[in-house]
Amino acid sequence: MTTATMGGSAVPGERMDRFVYDDAIVRLFLLATLVWGLVGMLVGVVIALQLTNPIFNFQLPWLSFGRLRPLHTNAVIFAFAGNAIFTGVYYSAQRLLKARMWSDGLSRLHFWGWQAIIVSAALTLPFGITQSKEYAELEWPIDVAIALVWVVFAVNLFGTIVRRRERHLYVALWFYIATVVAIAVLHIFNNLVVAAGPFKSYSIYAGVQDAFMQWWYGHNAVAFFLTTPFLGMMYYFLPKAAERPVFSYRLSILHFWTLVFIYIWAGPHHLHYTALPAWASTLGMLFSVMLWMPSWGGMVNGLLTLRGAWHKVTEDPVLKFFVVAVTFYGMSTFEGPLMSIKSVNALSHYTDWTIAHVHAGALGWVGFMVFGMVYWLLPRLFQAELWSRRLAELHFWIATVGILLYIVAIYAAGLTQGLMWRAFDETGRLAYPDFVETTMRLIPMYWVRVLGGGLYLAGLVLCGVNTLMTWRRRPAQYAEPVHEAPALTARYTPEAAPGGFRRMGWHRRWEGLPLTFSVWVGVAVVTASLFEIIPMFLVGSNVPTIQAVHPYTPLELAGRDLYVAEGCNNCHSQMIRPIRAETMRYGDYSKPGEFVYDHPFLWGSRRIGPDLARIGGKYPHLWHVRHMEDPRSTTPQSIMPAYPWLAQARLDWAAVERGVAAQATLGVPYTPEEVAGAAALGRTQAGEIAAAIAQQGGPAGLENTQLVALIAYLQRLGTDIKSSPKVATAPAGGQGAGR
Amino acid sequence: MKLGDVMSAMHFNLFAQIALIIAVAGFAVVLVTTFLARNREPFRRASLLPLADDSPAGTRGGRA
Repeated sequence: MTTATMGGSAVPGERMDRFVYDDAIVRLFLLATLVWGLVGMLVGVVIALQLTNPIFNFQLPWLSFGRLRPLHTNAVIFAFAGNAIFTGVYYSAQRLLKARMWSDGLSRLHFWGWQAIIVSAALTLPFGITQSKEYAELEWPIDVAIALVWVVFAVNLFGTIVRRRERHLYVALWFYIATVVAIAVLHIFNNLVVAAGPFKSYSIYAGVQDAFMQWWYGHNAVAFFLTTPFLGMMYYFLPKAAERPVFSYRLSILHFWTLVFIYIWAGPHHLHYTALPAWASTLGMLFSVMLWMPSWGGMVNGLLTLRGAWHKVTEDPVLKFFVVAVTFYGMSTFEGPLMSIKSVNALSHYTDWTIAHVHAGALGWVGFMVFGMVYWLLPRLFQAELWSRRLAELHFWIATVGILLYIVAIYAAGLTQGLMWRAFDETGRLAYPDFVETTMRLIPMYWVRVLGGGLYLAGLVLCGVNTLMTWRRRPAQYAEPVHEAPALTARYTPEAAPGGFRRMGWHRRWEGLPLTFSVWVGVAVVTASLFEIIPMFLVGSNVPTIQAVHPYTPLELAGRDLYVAEGCNNCHSQMIRPIRAETMRYGDYSKPGEFVYDHPFLWGSRRIGPDLARIGGKYPHLWHVRHMEDPRSTTPQSIMPAYPWLAQARLDWAAVERGVAAQATLGVPYTPEEVAGAAALGRTQAGEIAAAIAQQGGPAGLENTQLVALIAYLQRLGTDIKSSPKVATAPAGGQGAGR
Repeated sequence: MKLGDVMSAMHFNLFAQIALIIAVAGFAVVLVTTFLARNREPFRRASLLPLADDSPAGTRGGRA
């Protein structure tokens, strides 16, 4: 067992340490991966169904698309992929470090703490408790819990590294270290908020800067949660499955450092042509294009690891999953840089193209890496032969067909959307002026997505069956293999290392010094971030102020909170890009100064429905009442869920006061009188709007309902910089705000 | 005078140029070190690490 030991400095004759690995914790994380995968993907299929027909929202608040969509994304990212990461890390790190995890207690605390966080997410998101920022929706108490559990994980991992018996840190461990360091930085800085109650908070950043921070986080959550840990797992499990070493260890070093240096810059490509300053957008694009090379370096390294072993791929479902996963990694990391190019992004942004891209990466790269790892681990963890190899093969083919159906349909949907939105007729007018015309074209493709997603889910069910049956074959008591390795000397002496560690250069030294290594990873991540973040916050010209822009009234702020709670930003953007097709459809393009009081920003990333940045005053109050009661009454083809409960649910005036006070704390210029009298001000405005609704022929007595607050907010949108911000008084026949 | 005033008076290209120099220099150092001929053998042995962890000296417990 010493043939591959790199830096062990054991003296001949020295007593060997004997130790066993903690595989029980790996089994727990593996089972959690599959359970939460089923939940997350089932919710995914449900929301896919909801986009084919709104009846699948069942008119239930906690089942509406806007609330379920973040549940789906959080479940698959943090529950499915998260537990899979911990499965892979706990299994491989112990073996690569030749040490049991530092603390069994911390391992259990990590496991149960993470599951409690997931349950908390499942209990809050469907009830509209959200911060609204994508992949960071969970409210502040859960964010605090995530930070604490992450620290537990980090302490346990670094404790194991310190206690290791293998001097050299294999490349997989570098990727794990980068994950631990970067996710901590991203999570903390994107989730800095001021609390306005136990389940409500406001981002400390506003508008442009909040958008920047969010996509610095959002993109790097993909980088350091869905990419680097899985690359670490690829560098460990792929050689294990192929029974040969990684193709090029040198390439893996280049792959690692270029990813760590470059990835962190790329976030602003999510905000091309928005109110984000052009310099940040261009910087994001350039670094995104540069990412292509290291990413493909990793893909090539993965695929060439199979050199001379391709015959095994035909026989082994594990290798099949890995090969397709790495191929999807290559495809997604080519497409990502492509989509970051501004001219391409002008077409792709806000469309389903982005959704197809994300799912190619999530289902193809992450999902298949997980399944390959699971099938490789099952016999080893449960110490029994895999129940059915043929079922695993069937899983592979069903899931592959499922992914292809899903992404081909949604690529087609995205291109259709993008091209229809920007199409002009021969007179120079929009060829499809009603947004819902585009929506109707997409419905058949949405059905194909349901089929593809359903097949992928069915494959996961097969994996679950295979796992259950393999588990049933387990021995009554698991055998615990005892391993031997020489302990590392407390003081490292390079001369004693086999092969002469001293000659290996500074990088080799770092790999034997985990603290130094981690610090440099942190420096790479933080330095790159600061080059973008500091100018964004400190250079005054980034956000020119607009005199006419004023804070929201207390009632409008309450309506904004409801907009967030219902997840309206999951379907509607509030950002008109300076593109002719958009300004003709929605009005004047959005300016940075319009968002200075937006804690959090609500620009959105997708247009399942039309942009709402200038919806204020376009329709009378009564139109909004009818639209929320039943969107089909104003737009017959709309796929928007109905929100009948808004007309019954009462406004919490105490929460309105807390909200205004919290915003004032953040620097929004409310006077002390406005803060103290927020509820009274809100009641007055609500009474005026309710009276107008009754006057227009609508229901009476709405003044204390959530519906009035939401209408107040919608009628405010975009009116600050309109020359004559008048609310329409006659019922409108147009369908522009329907889906 | 605040830091924001100083930074507002600077040209944006300066930040990008500094960052680019740091990134290129860092990449060059990693590239050169990685491909030094003397590192070939250590890297070859490092790549074998995942294949060397499945040979236990014995077992504890087992099928009842």
